[in-house]
Amino acid sequence: MPQERGLVKDELASHVRDIARALGGKLSEQEIEKELSSYLNVYRVSLDTAKRSIVKKHGGNPANLAIGINKTIRELLPGEQSVNLLVRLVSVNEKEVTPEGQGTKKILFGILGDPTATVPFTAWEPLNGPVATGDVLRVQNAYTKEYRGQIQVNFGLRTIVSKEKADALPEYKGGSPLPYAGTPTPFQVDRLREGTSNVAVTARILSTETREVEVEGAKKLVYGGVLADETGKTRFTAWKDFGLKEDEVVRIEGAYVRPWRGIPELSFDERSNVVRLKGDTLPPLTKLAESPRVWVEDLAERGGGVDVTVRGILIDMREGSGLVYRCPECRRVLRKGACRIHGEVKGDPDLRVKAVLDDGSGALTAVFDRELTEALLDKTLDACIAQAKEAMSQDIVRDELADILVAQPMETRGNVTSDDYGLMMIVQTAKILKVDVQQEARQMLEGLEGSA
Amino acid sequence: MIREAAWRVFAAEFNDATLEVNGGGDRAPSYVITPLGAKVNRIYAVGVVTDVENIGTDMQPMWRARVQDPTGTFHLYAGQYQPAASAVLSKLKPPVFGAVVGKSRTYTPDSGTVYTSIRPEIVKTVDENARDYWILEACQSLKRRLDAMAEASRMDPPSKEALVKLGVRESLADGIVQAVGHYGMADLSRYTAMLAEALRYLLPEYRGDRSPETVVADIAPAAPEKEPEADAGRETSVLEVIVELDKDGKGAPWDAILTGAKAKGLSKEDLEEAINGLLDKGLVYEPVLGRMKKI
Repeated sequence: MPQERGLVKDELASHVRDIARALGGKLSEQEIEKELSSYLNVYRVSLDTAKRSIVKKHGGNPANLAIGINKTIRELLPGEQSVNLLVRLVSVNEKEVTPEGQGTKKILFGILGDPTATVPFTAWEPLNGPVATGDVLRVQNAYTKEYRGQIQVNFGLRTIVSKEKADALPEYKGGSPLPYAGTPTPFQVDRLREGTSNVAVTARILSTETREVEVEGAKKLVYGGVLADETGKTRFTAWKDFGLKEDEVVRIEGAYVRPWRGIPELSFDERSNVVRLKGDTLPPLTKLAESPRVWVEDLAERGGGVDVTVRGILIDMREGSGLVYRCPECRRVLRKGACRIHGEVKGDPDLRVKAVLDDGSGALTAVFDRELTEALLDKTLDACIAQAKEAMSQDIVRDELADILVAQPMETRGNVTSDDYGLMMIVQTAKILKVDVQQEARQMLEGLEGSA
Repeated sequence: MIREAAWRVFAAEFNDATLEVNGGGDRAPSYVITPLGAKVNRIYAVGVVTDVENIGTDMQPMWRARVQDPTGTFHLYAGQYQPAASAVLSKLKPPVFGAVVGKSRTYTPDSGTVYTSIRPEIVKTVDENARDYWILEACQSLKRRLDAMAEASRMDPPSKEALVKLGVRESLADGIVQAVGHYGMADLSRYTAMLAEALRYLLPEYRGDRSPETVVADIAPAAPEKEPEADAGRETSVLEVIVELDKDGKGAPWDAILTGAKAKGLSKEDLEEAINGLLDKGLVYEPVLGRMKKI
C-alpha cells in the first residue's frame, strides 16, 4: 500500500509547492492541490507518478521536481526519478568502470535492505564518506531503473546519502514481504493504472504461460498470461503458483499494477488471494478474447493496451519506412549503410512501415512488419529489391507505400505500448477499412430527424 | 509529448472560430476553439481543391489553396517552411479531391476580425471515397460536439467536471467550457441543420437530378441560385470598392471593404461571393491575409 495515502497534510503541502515551483507558478497551489488529490484518491496512482504527470500535463519539465518521495523498497517502481529511502547496507563492493568517452572511475554497488525487501544498488558518484556493510543510510533523490525485469536503485549527482544511527532500522532478517493494510479496491481491467496497489480484479484467464526470471541472483518461475473482463484485456504476472488455468473465472484480491513496456500489467504474489468464481460470472472466452475497439485518447490515458483495435486514418508515414537494411548483429535499421552501434556492415533487406494512425481523438505510431507491408503493397520483398535496383533508389518503395497508405482509413489490431515519445502499436493484423458510408449516413440522418 | 489529434471539423465550424488560446509556456501548443468546443491544434480535412495560387514570388513562393467541403471553404497557406505540402500544391491541377493534414492558424487584422486558416503539413490527392469517408467522420465528430453542447446548455454555468461525469471526453469538455465563455451558448439548431445537410450530401436520394459533376460546383447548398448578371454587377461594385480603398498600394483591408460593400447595399455573403468570383477570375488577389488588391 503506497504510504502517501497516510501522508500528513504538511508533507503533501511540500509536494504541492514542489510542483508549483517546477511549473514556474503557471498553476495556483489550490489548483495543484485539487489535481494532486484527484490523482491520488480517484485514480490512486503513486505520488511520484502523480507529481510527474501534473508537471508534464501543464507543459513543465518533471526533472525540475526537487523533493523526493519517502518510500520503502517494496514500494519502488521502475523509472522513479526521485525517491527517499531509509535502508541498511546489506552488502557493498567497489569496481572500476570506464563509461564511453569518459575516464575510468570507481563505483560502488551492492544490496540495500529495509524491513520490506532488498534491492540492488549502484552509486555512480563518490559518496561523501566511507560506508560499510550494516550501516544504516538515509538516501535522498535516488532514482530507479529496471534491468532484466528487476528494479535497481541508482545514486546519481543529485543523490544525497547520509549515515544514520544503527538502531534507526531493525536488522534485516529476510522472509516474505509485509501484507497490505486495508481491504482491496475493486477495479475493472480498463481502469487499472500503473502504480496502483491492493486492487481486486474479477476476470477470466484467457491464456497462461510460465517463464523463468532471475531474482536476486536466484532463478524463479513466474506464472503469467493474459486475462480479461468486459472492459478489456491485460497481461498478468503471478509470483507464486496459484494454479491458474485457461478459461477459469477468478477474483484476484490484493494485486498491484506495474508497467510492462508502458502497458499496465497486473501483478500478484503471496500476499494476494485468488478466489474461483462460477464460469458464467463473465461472458465466455470467445467473447472476451475479441479485440475491443478503442479510442487512441483512452489508450493514452491508460498508458497503452493489450490486443486492442483502432480505427483511424494513416495521416503520415515516418522516416525509415519502406525498403530498409538491418544490421545483421542487432537488427537496427542502417542509416547510410552504417549501424549506429556496429558501424558499416552488410545489411539484411527488410520491409516495414512506421506510420501515424490518427482517429480524431489522438494519434499513435503504427509499426507494420514485413509480412503486413508485403500484403499492403501486394508485392514481395524480392520484388521491391528488384524495383529499387532498377530505379537506383530505395525511396521508390517508400513513395509507393505513401501513395497507397496516406489518407487511407484503416483498422489495425495489436498491442499498444507507451513511452516518452507517445504510443506505439506493433500491428498484428491490419485491413483497409471499407465502410458503407451511405448506410451510416442514412442511419445518422434518421436518428437526427427522429429526435427533432 | 503526445502528438496532437487531427480534428475532423467542417469548414463552416472552423471558420466560425474567433478564439485562439495558448497553452502557456514557450513550446506549448496553441488551439483554435470553435463555437462547439473543438480544440483544434491539428486538423484533417478532405475536400475539393478548387484553386491553388502562388501569392509569393518565384524565389519565395507562398502557396494559397482553397479546399471546399459541403459547408464551406478551408484556406491553406504553405511557404518555404512547409516544403512537402508546397511541393504537392505547386503541382496540383484543380479541381481535384485533396486530403490535408495541417495546423490551425488564425489571423487578426487591427479591427479584431479573426480569419482561420490551415498551415498544411501534408497534402495528398485522394479519390471520392476518401472524401465521402471524411464527411462521415466529420459528421460523427460534429454530432459528438452537438450532443455534449446540448448537455452543457442544461447547466448554468457548464462545468468541465459535470460534463466529464456525463461521459464527455475531458478535452472536449474543456473546449466546451472555454467556447461557452467566449461565444456564449452555440446556436445548436443551426449546426444541427448543417449536420443534416452534410449527411444528405452523402446520399444519392437527396441529390435530385443533379449530375455528380454539378454537385461539386453546387457545394454550398444554402446559397440560392443567382443570376449571372447580378453576380457580375456585384463583382464590379466590389472591385471599385477595393481600388478606392487601396490607398497605400498594400491592398484594401477586409473590414473596410465590408463597410464599403455594405454602403453599396451588399450583404457580407454577397461580398464574400463576389470576392470569390473576382479571385477565381484572377481580377484580385490577397497580397497578405485579410487584404485584397486589384491585379
